[in-house]
Amino acid sequence: MHRSRAWKLVPLVLTFGLLGAACGSSTTTGQGNDDGSSSKLAAATLNGSGSTFQQAFNEAVMEEFKAAQPAVTPVYGGGGSGKGQTDLQGGLVQWAGSDSTVKDADKGLYEGPFLYFPTVAAPITVSYNLSGVKLKLAPETLAKIFAGEIDTWNDAAIKADNAGADLPSTAITVAHRSDGSGTTANFTKYLVAAAGSAWTLGTDKVVAWPQGQQAGEGNGGVAQIVKSTPGAIGYVDYSDAKAAGLALASLKNAGGSFVAPSLESATAALDGATLAEDLTYDPLNAAGAEAYPITAPTYILVYSSQPDPAVRAALKGFLEFIYTDGQKIAETVDFAPLPESILNAAKAQITKIGV
Amino acid sequence: MTAVFPRPSITQSTASPWRRTKSALMTSALALALVVAAVPLVLIIAYVLAKGWSSVTTPGWFSGDIPILSRSEGPGMGPAITGTLMITGAATAMAVPLGLLGGIYLNEYSAGSRYGKVIRFFADVMTGVPSIVMGLFVFVIWVLSFGLSAFAGALALGCLMLPIVIRTSEEMLKLVPSELRESAYALGGRKAGTIIRVVLPAAAPGIISGALLAVARAAGETAPLIFTIGFVNQANTSLFNDPNTALSTQIFKNANSVFPGPVARAWGAALTLIGIVFVFTILARIASALLARKHQP
Amino acid sequence: MTAVAAPPTLAGSPRPPGLVTDRVVRVVVFVAGALVLVILALIAYTMINRALPAFRSEGWSYFTSDVWDPARSKYGTLAFTFGTVLVSGIALVLAVPVSVGIALFTTEVAPRWLRKPVTYLVDLLAAVPSVVFGLWGLLVLAPTLPGFYQGWHDLFSGVPLLGSLFDGEPIAQRTFMTAGIVLAIMITPIITSVARETFATVPQSLKDAAHALGATRWEMIRAAVLPHSRGGLTAGILIGLGRALGETIAVALVIGSSPQISAKLFGSGDAAASVIALQWGEASDGTYRAALIGLGVVLFAVTLIVGVVARAIVARTDRHAGGSA
Repeated sequence: MHRSRAWKLVPLVLTFGLLGAACGSSTTTGQGNDDGSSSKLAAATLNGSGSTFQQAFNEAVMEEFKAAQPAVTPVYGGGGSGKGQTDLQGGLVQWAGSDSTVKDADKGLYEGPFLYFPTVAAPITVSYNLSGVKLKLAPETLAKIFAGEIDTWNDAAIKADNAGADLPSTAITVAHRSDGSGTTANFTKYLVAAAGSAWTLGTDKVVAWPQGQQAGEGNGGVAQIVKSTPGAIGYVDYSDAKAAGLALASLKNAGGSFVAPSLESATAALDGATLAEDLTYDPLNAAGAEAYPITAPTYILVYSSQPDPAVRAALKGFLEFIYTDGQKIAETVDFAPLPESILNAAKAQITKIGV
Repeated sequence: MTAVFPRPSITQSTASPWRRTKSALMTSALALALVVAAVPLVLIIAYVLAKGWSSVTTPGWFSGDIPILSRSEGPGMGPAITGTLMITGAATAMAVPLGLLGGIYLNEYSAGSRYGKVIRFFADVMTGVPSIVMGLFVFVIWVLSFGLSAFAGALALGCLMLPIVIRTSEEMLKLVPSELRESAYALGGRKAGTIIRVVLPAAAPGIISGALLAVARAAGETAPLIFTIGFVNQANTSLFNDPNTALSTQIFKNANSVFPGPVARAWGAALTLIGIVFVFTILARIASALLARKHQP
Repeated sequence: MTAVAAPPTLAGSPRPPGLVTDRVVRVVVFVAGALVLVILALIAYTMINRALPAFRSEGWSYFTSDVWDPARSKYGTLAFTFGTVLVSGIALVLAVPVSVGIALFTTEVAPRWLRKPVTYLVDLLAAVPSVVFGLWGLLVLAPTLPGFYQGWHDLFSGVPLLGSLFDGEPIAQRTFMTAGIVLAIMITPIITSVARETFATVPQSLKDAAHALGATRWEMIRAAVLPHSRGGLTAGILIGLGRALGETIAVALVIGSSPQISAKLFGSGDAAASVIALQWGEASDGTYRAALIGLGVVLFAVTLIVGVVARAIVARTDRHAGGSA
């Protein structure tokens, strides 16, 4: 008796199950689903390169994405924002990581129109190697150090920012990037905005640094120099600096208070950032008492036209993953997730990727 | 009175003590030069062994993938080992036969001619092309049209190897005594047959040795690969499609890392690479020694 | 007896065996030989062609200006040429005495049983890949050097010329000197090998004559071996120089990547090949790329000249050696 009634339920369950599955999955190539049910994507390789600023985040996301979508192989080669942009121009990669926006003059070098997808944001730290000092720096002092005008740690300007600190007379070894870097672009953009006449070298992925500085490749290279050279100072992304155990300077923001880099101060800087139509935004030198002044955005660039259906689906799935699970992964590798407004606009832009 | 000249001793140096001391000092300086050169060699091998051993002996080093999270610790250089072997293998397959044929041309067919001199000159010129320029060249003519691939890297390495193989083959062929060739002609052989059946076997030890040395050099090259092969985490066994990676480029990439994991993998890769290069170098010596002995009367 | 005539070919005899193979092989090896010319011509054409935009936009200042500012599209390569020459110069100064010393030791001083092992040892150094030299130089050698540099600097501070030479601003790990030291280790086996072969060709009669005149071993070397080897040694030095000029990766890792024309050996610098390797990925702008390719062309031209001179010297000494008995 009991059993025969239970058996009657089976066709019912099956029907509902099939209906549910049919509603859940869309096309056979499986675009991502809002309800989180994973329809498997077809095999594809997503080659990417570019910014080392976002590298730790990209890698963490790729690991999780690979577990969720075993047929898709995402790869990220790093190399700096400049490399990502040139690789995308040459069609050598399907997606590029860049912290800096593409100059108008360069837009013609691309194979077609491309889209900016903001993914996360994070502080650019000013890391240093000086034992026993909790460094505080105003933008003008920072500019002068990197411009080579201040060359010892016990300089008057640094002393003024750090009342009561015990500063040695060691020479300052400045570390900058040897490769074309979006981190350099954002760091110098901040200096142009905040340090005024103290910074004359302009802003770009590569600037004409003064003589006598050391250059490292990638954010990791700069971190390595700072870590191994007593008296060194350099700009490094928060994730790498924290994982390497570097000392981080507190910077004076537009509101006048010295703020240390952290995910909270970065999120504070993101509040109220205005999104441009192409989804780029500028949280540098943000107003706000708790805001960290050098909070940098970072983007993934893809062409809006993707003829290969497997690659197109994989790209869309990857981007959707970044905007769902990825935002939770961000904090585990020390990146600040996007605020609601930017996140929604970015998610909506995924539909613009077409044939 | 006849002056008496002291009979010179033929067993003792007549040099003054100062001259003898100076000679002894300079001779010691020469020995010191050897020590000065030996010290870095020993240091390098020692450090690579010490720092790379633990990476290489971790299970999963040879077969495991390169970790996606680049700052993480742990093994895996499988894709790079596959890549290095594939790329070097492909480069050898292209450069050695062509180089041998070129060497044969230079020595057997155009030994004295003007045209031969021109080719020899330009082969020497080609050995001097900086490896980075070769990488740029292949990037411009191949990668921009066909993308990153192991084959592009093999092209660049092959171009580097070609002139070396041509010149060493030519030198080895030159060493084959002309009597051998003349006897073969006397027996009615034609030129090509003589070369294939008589000259080449005689020159084989030297040619193989030269080729293996060229391969050893190519395996260690980095600059031509950094623009041409790209990067992957998983082994890519396709020669023509998709980016690839190699031990040398991985070392270059990880050398600048501030995290201990990638640096440990760089040392491990260095040890693996040195191992591969040494194997080829030793094979070259064994080959030349064995085959030379076989051909001696 | 009649003179031996060529064996008569019988009418209707089959074609002599191997004729087709012979012709085919002839063509094939000719093509293989010509391949070198084709590839070189292709390299020269593509590189120069793509470098022209940089020459056009910069003019002569491409070679004479030391301002390399891609952001403002100014490309002057003087600092890189300077750096390349300086680092190679340091390498030669360090490597040549050591190499000549080892070669002399092997051919003149060492007991017979020691010669082969020593040769193997030095050749082993040549087998180490350049990127491993760079890795070791960066992670092991460079951190130990600043103390050494500082000591040297303190020793010479105050001395007019040398004081500013042995200085850095500031004294750092990755410097011209560090790159020079690593390069010196790399080119030692090459120069040693050429020197050794040159010394081996010194006629025994020359050496015996010196001994007969009462020379000590060192005097014999100075009087007989070295003068005879001048040509070969010069060639060897130039070959080592060529290798040093083109070395990319090991230098890129330890030079500091800070383009400057300063004779401060313990300060950071930059060299041509390293710049190409490190900045190529960034170059999107057509002129930037052209400027980097142009740098490669310049580098190639310099190594080419060095190589040609080396070979001319070798040819001349071969003629001289052939003449003397």
